[in-house]
Amino acid sequence: MTKERNTKKAIRKEIYVVAALFTAVFVAMAVFLGYFVQVGSKDFIYNSYNSRFSVFTDDVTRGSIYTADGHIIAETKTDDENNEYRKYPDDRLFSHSVGYVGKGMSGLEASYSFDLLKSHISLDEQINNTLSGIKSPGDSLYTTFDYDTQKAAYDGLDMFDGAVIAIEPDTGKVIAMVSKPDYDPNTIAENWDAITDETKNNSALLNRAIAGAYPPGSTFKIVTTIAYLRDNDGDDYFDYNCKGSITVDDYKIHCSSKKAHGSEDLLKAFSNSCNSAYAYMGINLDREVFLSTANSLLFNETLPAALGNTRKSKFDIDDSTSDSIVAQTAIGQGQTTVSPLHMCMLVSAIANNGELMEPYMADKLVSEEGDIVSATTPKSYGKLLSDEEVLLLNEYMEAVVMDGTADNVDFGDLKVYGKTGTAEYSTNKNVTHSWFVGYAVNDSGDKLAIAVIMEGAGYGSKYAAPLAAKVFNAYFN
Amino acid sequence: MVSVLISFSRITLLAFVLAFTFIDIIQIFEFKNSEVFGSVMSTIQSVMVVLLLCNTSIILYLVREDSIYLFLLAGQLLLFALIGISLNKLTYPMSKALINNMMFFLTLSFAFLERLSQGRAIRQFVFAIVSLIISIIVIMILRQIKRIESFMYVFAAIGIILLLIVSLAGKVEYGAKLSLSFGNISIQPSEFVKLSFLFFISGCIVTYKDFRGFLFASVGAGLHVIILVLSKDLGTALIFLVAYVLLIFIAYKNYIVLGLEISVAAIGGILAYNLFPHIQSRFIAWSDPLSVVDDKGYQISQSLFAIGTGGWIGSGFTAGQPTKIPVVTKDFIFAAMAEELGTIAAICIIICLMCTCLQLFNVAFNCEESFYMLVVNGIAIIFSIQTILNIGGVIKFIPSTGVTLPFISYGGSSLLSMFICFYVAECSNDLFYIDNKGRRYD
Repeated sequence: MTKERNTKKAIRKEIYVVAALFTAVFVAMAVFLGYFVQVGSKDFIYNSYNSRFSVFTDDVTRGSIYTADGHIIAETKTDDENNEYRKYPDDRLFSHSVGYVGKGMSGLEASYSFDLLKSHISLDEQINNTLSGIKSPGDSLYTTFDYDTQKAAYDGLDMFDGAVIAIEPDTGKVIAMVSKPDYDPNTIAENWDAITDETKNNSALLNRAIAGAYPPGSTFKIVTTIAYLRDNDGDDYFDYNCKGSITVDDYKIHCSSKKAHGSEDLLKAFSNSCNSAYAYMGINLDREVFLSTANSLLFNETLPAALGNTRKSKFDIDDSTSDSIVAQTAIGQGQTTVSPLHMCMLVSAIANNGELMEPYMADKLVSEEGDIVSATTPKSYGKLLSDEEVLLLNEYMEAVVMDGTADNVDFGDLKVYGKTGTAEYSTNKNVTHSWFVGYAVNDSGDKLAIAVIMEGAGYGSKYAAPLAAKVFNAYFN
Repeated sequence: MVSVLISFSRITLLAFVLAFTFIDIIQIFEFKNSEVFGSVMSTIQSVMVVLLLCNTSIILYLVREDSIYLFLLAGQLLLFALIGISLNKLTYPMSKALINNMMFFLTLSFAFLERLSQGRAIRQFVFAIVSLIISIIVIMILRQIKRIESFMYVFAAIGIILLLIVSLAGKVEYGAKLSLSFGNISIQPSEFVKLSFLFFISGCIVTYKDFRGFLFASVGAGLHVIILVLSKDLGTALIFLVAYVLLIFIAYKNYIVLGLEISVAAIGGILAYNLFPHIQSRFIAWSDPLSVVDDKGYQISQSLFAIGTGGWIGSGFTAGQPTKIPVVTKDFIFAAMAEELGTIAAICIIICLMCTCLQLFNVAFNCEESFYMLVVNGIAIIFSIQTILNIGGVIKFIPSTGVTLPFISYGGSSLLSMFICFYVAECSNDLFYIDNKGRRYD
């Protein structure tokens, strides 16, 4: 009755195939886990639902945050009862960029929380500390901010709501970033209810510099100009006779102060910020070119910037859009919205020969002993504009400052290229946001790009451009 | 002082796990190593397991100031000794590495269950003793059966009836009917049906050796899977399906049939995806857990918070916060281990599970007789797919399916079923009946 023995050789290969299959899945799973911990886990660790930070604060004192020039802007202190608390020496000055710890976390405090709670002091020191029950000091974060520039921007904005952002064009380093209304991170927990009170509707927690949605006003004429150049294969010939207003489909667009600019080429129309000329230019543009130009300039997509939750800028035009909307869009009204960051990135690219450097504000992590743990290297996004476009835009933006809408502003010895804007934002056309975007160059060739918006302030040349001048002066002196 | 011990133990625990894993890998590449070398390696592995268990027990004893952990340690070491002795009495074990791995996984299970829930740890220890006894009894019964494959319809009937009872009278947990309750005790019959299912499929194939075997096996397997799908126990249904498909492939060596079966399974999968909203929500939770973090993605997000925050070297045993993860003692115990022992150790555990799977296939390969060759292959397949589904779900490699991690997750039915599987594998060349005239019946 003994059954015949099965021949092993015949079944050998299939077992190998199945075993190899499983082995491959196991290996893939191990690699996936390693990749997650090394690369993917940051999104999870920083998530506000992750409540495990107390694990680290038991052994490590949260590190300090500095400006690039060494001012402490966030530090951990101990009170009389030996409880740690977070101190922000400059109160509101860095409230949106640095953020807060207390009622949850935000800003750099949130995105670098994990790194600030790591200690890279020498191993024997760490073991010593553990044995003697002392906390090790966490690593410090050096930001890209320049203290004086930030202060000039903050003080310059004064009582106005709005935002200022300044970027070093050849690296993408954010030199200053201010958003108002703001809050005091030292007392965020006590004042939480007042700050988040929706009936007051001032959204003080929102960083308007990167997440504001503003009508760009005349600063958008930079985009329209680029679209015009692209629609005409780079030819800058333009001729228009401005009579102070233009009527498109029964919709009347006025020039500023209803002034008639007379005969204008592209340079004149730009430096005069002539609404009639740009409305006329807009309705004659190929809409596909207009849209593709805007999209190539980062409209309708997430901005390549390591600054937190930025807002996408919106631009929408197609064949069904009416001429009057297109005309308004061309002068920066209509449905288009931008963030100050986006406008600053645009002029930063112009200042850097068309190449956009991705903005960042966290420069390096340094251990208590002064060793650099990790440092951010500037990253190029690529070219947004051709050399010819940059050359023409520089010429136009220089004319704005020399004998255009901003010729009244005193920029000192600096060479400044810019564009003012006065953006209507409600049905009341007498209240307007004041815009200035542009960049300055000093004698040794250093550059700084800036975007300023002051809500409800009025003419760009009267408020935003002088503020930009103050920021430039603080930076270059 | 205790915190120093915990910090220091991060290194020692990792060292024990690394040493164990290293030997596991050597044994995969050195199947034909010399007797002496093999037994030295095997002894080192056993020592690592004992050290690991002592280390975690001492930490728990000092942190919780409760001497029960020392008593449990003594009991667990005794249990390990009994496992080794019983297998050596029953047979000449097919693979020493397999025994060591089983003890390694049990050690991890005991350590983490004690750390997570003392009550469950004690119960799991009792389950382990019961499992050991039942496994020995099952082996002795199997030796009394003359031609086991002739009972294949009995196995099919047992499996289908048990699953039907669960489907009709089972208790609903996490949207699926999984278990039967008898007072305080709740059992998951599907865990035992895994074994009867393998005996049934193997029996069909060995009895007919032709198309009929394939047909009967397919009809039986289909019934099992359909009932499981109706109970919404989709993880187990998937395990049965994969075991069936790959066993048929190993037995009939037919790539066309394999392709056809995979196509049918894929269509079934797409249908199930569209029919069951709870599968869809698992996919959403898998693709972007943070977008549904306070709802469907809560569990997987908590798991990933734990693994990510633990990092490469872990927070230290008892120094993490794994209890924040829902169902951490069962489906998500791997996340607790990754958090506290660190990702290096977690990857080692994955490698050990993989080596165990390869050892099982190696045992199957060395089976002298085709019925147990197929059964042990089936055990290897079930062990592997269950491990992959569990860990894959925990680390977001695949959507979570809600199956347990063999030997490590809390749960008596799962533990007993795996215990029997490993005993069958170890004794697979020794499960024949010898009558009083010395004749051998397979």
